[in-house]
Amino acid sequence: MSVILSVAHNELRHLVRSRVALTGLILVALLTFAAALTSRAYQADQAALRERLQHAADQDFAAQPNRHPHRVVHFGHFAIRPASGLAAMDPGVEAYTGNMIFLEGHRQNSANFGDARQSSLLVRFGQLSPALVLQVIAPLLLVFIGAGMVAGERERGTLRQSLLAGVSGGALLAGKGLALGAAALAISSPAFALLLWLAVSGGARLSAVLLSAGGYLAYLAVWTLVIIAVSATARRSRSALIALVGAWTFAVVLTPRISPELAASLAPLPTRVETDIAVQRDLRAMGDSHNPNDPYFAAFKQKTLKAYGVARVEDLPVNYRGLLAVEGEKLTSSLFNRYSNQAFAAMEAQGRLMDALAVISPTMAIRRLSMTLSETDLFAYRRFLEQAEAYRYDLVQRLNRLQATAVTAADDADKSKSAAAEARSRISADHWRAMPHFNPVRPSAADVVSRAAPAFLVLLAWLAAAAFFVTRAGRRLNGSAA
Amino acid sequence: MNSLLREVRFLLSLRSVVLAICCLFLLTAVSVGAGLAEIARQRATIARIEPQQKADVAAVAAWASKGRDPGDAAYYTFHATWDPPSDLAFAAIGTRDVSPYVLRVRALGLEAQLYEGEIGNPEAALPGRFDFAFVLVYLAPLFVILLFHDLRSGEREAGRLRALEASVGSTFELWGARVAVRAAGLFLALAIPFLVGAALAGTAPWKIGAVLAVVLAYLAFWIVLCLVVARAARSSLANAMTLAAAWMTLTLIIPAIGHIAINSAVPLQQGMELGVKQRTAVHRAWDIPKSETMDAFFRTHPEWKDTAPLTEAFHWKWYFAFHQVGDETAGDLARRYHDGVLERAAWSERLGLVTPGVATQLALHRLAATDPAAQIAYQDRIRAFHGQLGGFYYPYLFRDKPFDRADFDRAPAFQPAFDAGTWPGLLLAGVIVMTSLVAGFGWLRSKAASAWRSL
Repeated sequence: MSVILSVAHNELRHLVRSRVALTGLILVALLTFAAALTSRAYQADQAALRERLQHAADQDFAAQPNRHPHRVVHFGHFAIRPASGLAAMDPGVEAYTGNMIFLEGHRQNSANFGDARQSSLLVRFGQLSPALVLQVIAPLLLVFIGAGMVAGERERGTLRQSLLAGVSGGALLAGKGLALGAAALAISSPAFALLLWLAVSGGARLSAVLLSAGGYLAYLAVWTLVIIAVSATARRSRSALIALVGAWTFAVVLTPRISPELAASLAPLPTRVETDIAVQRDLRAMGDSHNPNDPYFAAFKQKTLKAYGVARVEDLPVNYRGLLAVEGEKLTSSLFNRYSNQAFAAMEAQGRLMDALAVISPTMAIRRLSMTLSETDLFAYRRFLEQAEAYRYDLVQRLNRLQATAVTAADDADKSKSAAAEARSRISADHWRAMPHFNPVRPSAADVVSRAAPAFLVLLAWLAAAAFFVTRAGRRLNGSAA
Repeated sequence: MNSLLREVRFLLSLRSVVLAICCLFLLTAVSVGAGLAEIARQRATIARIEPQQKADVAAVAAWASKGRDPGDAAYYTFHATWDPPSDLAFAAIGTRDVSPYVLRVRALGLEAQLYEGEIGNPEAALPGRFDFAFVLVYLAPLFVILLFHDLRSGEREAGRLRALEASVGSTFELWGARVAVRAAGLFLALAIPFLVGAALAGTAPWKIGAVLAVVLAYLAFWIVLCLVVARAARSSLANAMTLAAAWMTLTLIIPAIGHIAINSAVPLQQGMELGVKQRTAVHRAWDIPKSETMDAFFRTHPEWKDTAPLTEAFHWKWYFAFHQVGDETAGDLARRYHDGVLERAAWSERLGLVTPGVATQLALHRLAATDPAAQIAYQDRIRAFHGQLGGFYYPYLFRDKPFDRADFDRAPAFQPAFDAGTWPGLLLAGVIVMTSLVAGFGWLRSKAASAWRSL
């Protein structure tokens, strides 16, 4: 043990003495710090903005005057996506999804004003966040610091001396690994401090914070071990450096970027325009409520009359137009949901394919783990859209039912011809004030953890493989000295 | 010439160098292939939509023409717009994967339609595209570093430096040839796949020339930086570390910090506020006297002032008028949003003048017309087209002219514009100036060092 510590101590002393390596370490540590700070500030800003906008939208909705309920269906409402607790650690898909969605009758709108669309092209490599630094930049720095740790000693001839002096290969590599691991901890500590702060200040759940920290530790440990093993195997530090930069390029850059291309060709997505056209086509096939001879709506009329036990629409105790609106919304919404479920199913198939590539790149695994725990992944976005849609449907149907019960059929029929009927068709604004507010519910902690677990297990498997690799390299060193 | 041939032979004998160049070649080839595939996918989508759109309009026409009501026609007919990719888009896909390149609009308020998002998988968009611009800006410098960081120090560490320098007539010729051969290898690894892609995509020759000029300038910057760092007589690994730090700073850190600075200096909250304001303005019309709306409408559209006055009954012309007024109410926010996106782009260009990676990135995207400016230009074309739609439907609506089956075919058709891209002169000049600055700094320092030694 003391041998390992003394090797590590020596290595760290070298590191501090080498101005370049130390500067690199400090630079990246500062970067992590800056990323944590700005990301946290940005998220706090966003949270305030979104809360303000949602509040304003709620107020606008409630402040409507007396109106015909169908006017309110078209006035619609806005659902704004609340920021999630760990988004400051990993903003995930936040920039690529819209955050505001207009809810109205007869339509399912998209979420608009995603950041990526309205920003310049500066960050096509990724936004500065603690996640980016730990996933992408930290491994590269470790590569440059660690590539020569063993190979350099071999070049200088000091490796053989140490081994002949009785230091075992395993202890030597353990010591070097410890030193490189300490460097990794030093540069990532601001990110861990942010995680801790998020847990303490109450934005994030403890389970998510612990699992996220564990995941990043495992990820950095995988890199540390692989770097030491490659450095111990390579004959020259130059070839170790080339091999490791190659591995970094492959795992951190190439695989994550090529995987969407593969996914897109395996599970293609329709465009919004195509979906809109298809929905309209299906609706036309379903029936036309304006056409008195339409078979679907004729059957609906018969069913309604039977339910109320009357012979004519005029004898209904409720406004038939309102019932038609309820039925129409039911039909359109089920179509919208069918198409949106299809699109999400395709996206999730793409996601599974990308997740499977974690077998060749640990970066894919840490990305999944980190996004899932930060609730900034596709699943969280889908959850928001589905909750917004459920809210929209409920709101519109409440209004349609009001049209059926609170507006008389005669006034409804005459409202576009006579101002007096129009005035009578307006119902009290108290109704809008009493409507429920959009209040999205976060997934439960257990749910989040169980969805993050597979990625965590993959990272542990990577860790085991890397440990195996480095142990074998250590044994080979012993052999080379003999 | 002899020394060049000797260096080529020497280079070919260095396995790791050959491997690195082959690797860059392969990465570039993959990126060009992926870019071509994505652009083909986008073209196929645009082509696929046309017949579907025709069928949709025909179906609307089939029932709306029965009542011959121009309001029905204007309300229910969607008109397709699209933004075809340029002949260079495969090399720099830019924002084409996060913003729609097909959008349908109708004659109603445009501000509620213009910012519609696309159905995309955000997790797939997150890592960013693997296109030629990405390989050039982010990966090529790493290969430059791998090939150049130990140019001299590697020989010194191998103990061959003195023998080598003594064996040739001039050391300048030796290192010059060595640098030229390696640079040529990297350049070809980037240029050959690009040229194949450009030939397949039918890229205009001047754009090919411009891209090659950008590639040369950017490679030159990194090579000069490597040579300057390598002059300081340090170990190969220390050189590599220094250069890697430079790479991180110039390609990751400065752009990321610039992004944060620009986005907070030019906040774009107008987007979300715009939606709220337009909606409120549109729906207010139901609660105020119709004449108030019409007066506001006639102020911008006086040509319809003398048409038949409104009665108590609902009239479509009032409905379209209040949508128009709603757009005009939000017009100020819309302009600010529009200008804000362009201002962000302008600031990133300014950052590009001092950051070669940013300049290269922006130059390629400007040439490919896939940058935010191009996205805004598409929105402007949709705006103009929406204006034409108004010009087409208003005469029917305001003069109560029946809208017949045949009138559906008379509607204006969207004319896509082919953004030719512009010569990124200023950005290219920025890269060259930065290269000269680095070279000048290196020269001054080596002069100072030799002055120090001669003391």
